[in-house]
Amino acid sequence: MNETLTILLESMVIGALIGFGASAGVARMFHAPKVQGMGAFRTLGELNACENDPVAHFSFGFGFFFNAWASAVGTGALTSDVDHRIVPHWAAALSMTRNRNLAETLHNPRRMAFFGAGVGLVLVSVLNTTAASIPHSLQKVAAEVLGPASEWLINPVMPIVFWMAAVDAGRRTGGWGSALGGLAHVVMGNAVPGIVLGIVVGKALDDLGRTRVTRVLVGAVVALFAVSALLRGVDIQLLQQMKVDVPHWLSRFHDATGTTPTD
Amino acid sequence: MAHAESGATPGAATAASGAQRTPATTPDGAKAPGEGSFWLSEWAFPLFVATLAAGIFTGTHLYYVYRTGTFSDVAVTALLKGGMENGSYGAAAAFGAGFLFARVIEGPMVGILDIGGSLQTGVGIGIPAMLLAGGVTAPLEHFWLALPTGAAVGFAIGCVILLIRRATVNSSQNTSTFGADVMMGAGNSAGRYLGPLVIIAAATASIPVGLGSTLGALLFYWWKKPLTGGAILGAMLFGLFFPLTGK
Repeated sequence: MNETLTILLESMVIGALIGFGASAGVARMFHAPKVQGMGAFRTLGELNACENDPVAHFSFGFGFFFNAWASAVGTGALTSDVDHRIVPHWAAALSMTRNRNLAETLHNPRRMAFFGAGVGLVLVSVLNTTAASIPHSLQKVAAEVLGPASEWLINPVMPIVFWMAAVDAGRRTGGWGSALGGLAHVVMGNAVPGIVLGIVVGKALDDLGRTRVTRVLVGAVVALFAVSALLRGVDIQLLQQMKVDVPHWLSRFHDATGTTPTD
Repeated sequence: MAHAESGATPGAATAASGAQRTPATTPDGAKAPGEGSFWLSEWAFPLFVATLAAGIFTGTHLYYVYRTGTFSDVAVTALLKGGMENGSYGAAAAFGAGFLFARVIEGPMVGILDIGGSLQTGVGIGIPAMLLAGGVTAPLEHFWLALPTGAAVGFAIGCVILLIRRATVNSSQNTSTFGADVMMGAGNSAGRYLGPLVIIAAATASIPVGLGSTLGALLFYWWKKPLTGGAILGAMLFGLFFPLTGK
């Protein structure tokens, strides 16, 4: 089968699936915490910011459509904005063109899911198939401008934003966030997951104290860090950088499991 | 994107007041459509996670075979690409798994699962990286294998979240929000930084592209649109007329 046709057909299936799931999850966010939602806090804030206006929803998504397009063209990554911003906002815009009642449109998972599936189907097909037809000079600009910018966003900007939020949320949250954040950068290569866990643990200890729930939470976090460190061979790197001889059994274990340090 | 932050407060207020207004078990026929139905039920959640995860995982299959289609940002995709080129997937796997774990713990406690960390980074990059590191390439090479793999992973994540939710938030003695407000503030402001970063990157790439990016951002700001879109469009437009020379 022709390659472009294959990409088109697969993109249609993928787009319908992500549009369906993401939009239903986004509509459920408005019923949180009673109902488990799925999306992001910033998506919730941005949807509310458009204040029930289809044009605002559409143009908000449109700005990020070009972002996603440029990125798809330059690097093949559609960006996280497809699920977070474009699909929810366009599905919202479509679902409220005739009916402005929020409870029946944006907050209704069924309506959002079907509009979202339609938006996703078209959007992902367009993003994946038109990428090849963009001039080379544009691809180069997209890669050279968006590449470094999003790399900086992931490290160090996002860690700093989350870190400051943790530090400002009280001494216990700041302490856990800082400790786990630093460790997470060593172990996983990015501090954000550690800071998020630090905020959850710190706030849980603030509100609940030492209960079974918080003990299990801390245990799970410690286990995650230990396993991740082992899988990336961080223990060997640590010993080497401290100029300590790596015990023979340890290096044999890492060789046997294929978890020697990679970078 | 400046208005995004102001929008967070009404969002939080709506969510919080909604919880107090209606009891946990709403009978059918309440004011909001779909209330108490399948679409808002607890067990529908794993199904929605499964469809989204199936799409995201298959998107990574598309990237693996045709080099387009991941639902992650450029920098995260670059981790997987690095693995595909030199065969060491450790960085992508640890990065993805770390985010997946953190978000799965956070999701049930705050009521919103962050799909960026859990599904796009975790299922889209972390799990493929782990499979590839273990030499399992079939789910990433074949479309019809990628779909059920992603769906199964998503369904499992959804069920784990419901279980954690039963044990923590829905348990009788719980009084904590587990930092939902803190996460909301940080999540909202993180996205705002992208615009200035794009302008800085554009100005580093070349002078015309940098000027174009600045101009575009200004125009968008003037029109009360998110800076980021204008910065990107300006950079692209000037890059078309003044192509980047370089390595």
